[in-house]
Amino acid sequence: MEHNPYLPQLARIISIKEEVGGARPIKTFHLELLNGHRFDFRCGQCAMISVFGKGESMISISSSPLIKEYLQFSILKMGRVTTALHEMEEGSIVGLRGPYGNGFPLEEWKGKNLIFIGGGIGLAPIWSVLQTALRQRDDFGQLTLFYGARTSQDLVFKDELKKLKETIPVYLSIDVKEPGWNEYVGFVPQNVLDKKPSPEKAIAITCGPPIMIKFVIKGLQELGFQDDQIFTTVENKMKCGIGKCGRCNIGHHYVCKDGPVYSWARLKTLPQEY
Amino acid sequence: MEKVLKKSDLGQWVARLKDFDLYGPVRENNHWEFNQISQLANFPEDYTQVNVPLKKILLPNREVLFQFEDNRNGGPYLQEVLPEEREVVVFGVRPCDARGIVLLEKVFSSEIPDIYFERRRQQVYVVGLSCYPLPGENCFCLSLGGGPFSTKGMDILLTKMQSKYFVEVLTPKGEKLIKAAPEYFFNPTDKDQQERQQLERKARAMFTRQIEGVEKIWPVLSQMFESPLWREESYRCLKCGICTYLCPTCHCFDITDEISSTAPLQGKRVRVWDTCQFPDFTMHSSGHNPRPDKASRLRQRIMHKFLYFVETFGDIMCTGCGRCVSKCPVGIDIIDILNKVASHGA
Repeated sequence: MEHNPYLPQLARIISIKEEVGGARPIKTFHLELLNGHRFDFRCGQCAMISVFGKGESMISISSSPLIKEYLQFSILKMGRVTTALHEMEEGSIVGLRGPYGNGFPLEEWKGKNLIFIGGGIGLAPIWSVLQTALRQRDDFGQLTLFYGARTSQDLVFKDELKKLKETIPVYLSIDVKEPGWNEYVGFVPQNVLDKKPSPEKAIAITCGPPIMIKFVIKGLQELGFQDDQIFTTVENKMKCGIGKCGRCNIGHHYVCKDGPVYSWARLKTLPQEY
Repeated sequence: MEKVLKKSDLGQWVARLKDFDLYGPVRENNHWEFNQISQLANFPEDYTQVNVPLKKILLPNREVLFQFEDNRNGGPYLQEVLPEEREVVVFGVRPCDARGIVLLEKVFSSEIPDIYFERRRQQVYVVGLSCYPLPGENCFCLSLGGGPFSTKGMDILLTKMQSKYFVEVLTPKGEKLIKAAPEYFFNPTDKDQQERQQLERKARAMFTRQIEGVEKIWPVLSQMFESPLWREESYRCLKCGICTYLCPTCHCFDITDEISSTAPLQGKRVRVWDTCQFPDFTMHSSGHNPRPDKASRLRQRIMHKFLYFVETFGDIMCTGCGRCVSKCPVGIDIIDILNKVASHGA
């Protein structure tokens, strides 16, 4: 049968975890395809999640491709589809198509030190790479994580971060001072400048709000990082995921297939339409 | 293969095409549209150009992709809805619209093929009608590698002559249509050939609108992202999107769910035409918009057609039909804009 790129597969929500409450809630969902089908992907790729009757949303996969039991998505409640997802229960059925996008070039990073710099929900795509690097520890040099959010409540993967600290250096930050917070207070880019990670044999991977990415890149350049040592992901509104609906383009690139992962060396040559 | 068909035999030939759904230009109020027809005696003298181009048959403005419903086990059940199997002949397609299909194929049949477009493309037979006289005051296909007698994207091209149609049979699909009534088709005489050539020469001399130096446009455009031109040319835009909806090559779409029942859930996922000229086309759920103003959206329309598409597919995504100029309620004129761009590179 011909492949229908718009027809999703069905997937079951096997677990839901509340990461962040309040006005900007984030939940982490674990999904598995029905009928035991496998969903192969690369770190940094996305999937289109359907809530039937509501529509579709493109979400980055935050689990490692080495984990076969489930696919993980951490989702901020924003629009119609993500709101409906937040109202769903374990066992509910959603649609899934993909994976979409290019993914991170992990093969080229063998032996390198990886510096992860995330803000808010932007930790999700980073998490997939980090979890993969931790599972293939011998393939990479030192791993370091910088991660910040507006408040301590807004940090995702709080439990996992606690455990992670026992394994690799983790530098957390929040924007404004809170009682009981013993770590850095200030924006993520400042925290990076403060800790001065070395550009030697290093790759920096940064995801988060556009304004954070902008200043992280500036900071990394000050620290001596070259443009091809800095990687980020770009988000634009998407509908088809296969470069046809004409919505997510930056110049002649379609983020859904040519992105979402860009080195700064590549991204800086494109018009600023993201 | 070249043939001639007596004008009075057109209807006889079309009547033989019983196995096909037939579409042709039909007058609706003050304009023409491709609608389903049961017969076709002639092309009326006042037939110019349809309002909505041929793309509507290959990429309908609303198309169901699949249906979903809750089954007894609680989970949703999906039913793929593919285009129905029916062969369609469209008569009277102007060369600009037929070339539009060739450009759409580059998008929808490349990399991951769009199964819906592909099925329709296979089923559609294009019988063109050459342009003498020119159908519109803003025709500028000649500047873009097209022409009033261009055959790209067609299975047959008809040219209306004094008493006959000159018939250019261009593909096996075209041959199949002729074979339905071979007795009406004759080999052209030298005089027929001359008459057809003369009409083409006359048509090519009729163009009043053109772009000076189209080859300059894309290298210049790549340097014009920050140009004040976009603001100057877009300030009067009403964001109606007609320039894109009536364009034979614009293909941007939205995918959305329509529900007929909430409990049990029943509905359809549909694809509908969309336009880069609407402010919310690119707006993120956060409210951030990469193309926040009319200037950036006009720039996108021009850049997509004359730069990005050239970079990706090596072709300009405009066939010079002139609709976006003629139909714009505030007179935004792509030909003027392109001439200004070309003059930047002079």
